[in-house]
Amino acid sequence: MTRVALVPGVLALLPEYRSLQDPVASLRAACLDAVAWLGPSPRVVADAQGSRIAAALVGAAGLDTPPPSGSGYSTSGRVGGRVASASERIETTEEGVLVVGNGSARRTEASPGPFDPRAVPFDDALGAALRGPDPAVLRSLDQQLAEELWAATGSVTELAGLLEGAGLVDVDYDDAPYGVQYWVMRWQG
Amino acid sequence: MLKLGHRVLVDELPLVMAIVNRTPDSFYDRGATFAEDAAFARVEQVVDEGADIVDIGGVRAGYGPEVDATEEIRRVASFVGRVRTAYPSLVISVDTWRSEVADVVCREGADVVNDAWGGHDPGLVDVVAAHDAALICTHTGGLRPRTDPHRQEYADVVAAAITATTAYAERALAAGVAKESIVIDPAHDFGKNTFHSLEVTRRVGEMVETGWPVLVSLSNKDFVGETLGRPAGERLSGTLAATAVCALAGARIYRVHQVRETRDVVDMTWSIAGRRPPLRAIRGLA
Repeated sequence: MTRVALVPGVLALLPEYRSLQDPVASLRAACLDAVAWLGPSPRVVADAQGSRIAAALVGAAGLDTPPPSGSGYSTSGRVGGRVASASERIETTEEGVLVVGNGSARRTEASPGPFDPRAVPFDDALGAALRGPDPAVLRSLDQQLAEELWAATGSVTELAGLLEGAGLVDVDYDDAPYGVQYWVMRWQG
Repeated sequence: MLKLGHRVLVDELPLVMAIVNRTPDSFYDRGATFAEDAAFARVEQVVDEGADIVDIGGVRAGYGPEVDATEEIRRVASFVGRVRTAYPSLVISVDTWRSEVADVVCREGADVVNDAWGGHDPGLVDVVAAHDAALICTHTGGLRPRTDPHRQEYADVVAAAITATTAYAERALAAGVAKESIVIDPAHDFGKNTFHSLEVTRRVGEMVETGWPVLVSLSNKDFVGETLGRPAGERLSGTLAATAVCALAGARIYRVHQVRETRDVVDMTWSIAGRRPPLRAIRGLA
């Protein structure tokens, strides 16, 4: 059995970028709940920057902190040893996988990247494939287009493999408050 | 931790103390808030602008007509009660050197006694301790209340201010005032010429290093006016420059006329120093 959670690679989630008024409070809450649901020592699928965010979320959720991953999209090692408290624990035979990625940052005129009319349709299609889940569609995602649209989808290919035979547990967050598409989703397989 | 009467402040953020004069003759506002309703409107305004503390005074600091304790109590005490009723969580300070005044205003709900005249009344610490209030310990160079310096010099003005204020703080501590309720203030322009006040500003970090929380009262004072050649109504920029220097050094409380401007300068400087996160930062982080 595998539990998989997707969170966005939002730098504002990092403690070094903390504000007095959290600009991503509801997103953070959804992320922390999802990470806690994974259980201790989740395996992380992310690039280097995403791995820092994963580590921060795992630490903030009261779980083990995975080490920062190396360069490129790869599966970081699992941390053994100490097990901290989690709001919900999983059986030791289950694996927890935390995937970091998000949709386009060119959705609107207020987005970080310049507006691109292809962004919202791209996110809609990607969101539908994640909800399905539809691993075949995820595997065939146009990574060139994703790059043009400033979407952080480098982890989607590996996520597609994880979601073979898995079912959606819940969509905990689906919004683009700053012109960047964020999802927090959970699957179990 | 800082404990100002009924309020315990566990974070280390800077505090803005707004001046509220119930005087007909203070140098900056010249009686604008002498009437009780005008003073109350001033309280409403400064709270809206972000003041953490109001400092209510009934006697002009400089020379002027005699104001005895009875008159000072008449001006201040019931007003403190009115503010306390209207703002139960607001920190209320009263600017007085007299123990009999401090006793009455603490009964009315004052949290802090701001003794701008450096312990002139030896009984003040006992009254502050009895009410579990906080005390501002200032340095005046030995001047009597309501007098100006004349040819006063120091071997080292900062050392003198540290020696006097920490000795006063220790005396308050011995009298039973809580350690976390004692604040020191170099008292710019009190017993000091402009050169002294500039040096105290430049070296205020040495006062911060004593470990006692530091209050600075810079607002529109003569050392700003003499430095820039500006009359009382045109000293905001100079005041804010001095404020930024003190904030960078870590002074904790700022006693001011202009709350909103001071709040911004202090918070901005505190954030530059890395002691205060931005209010809400998302640009480049989404």
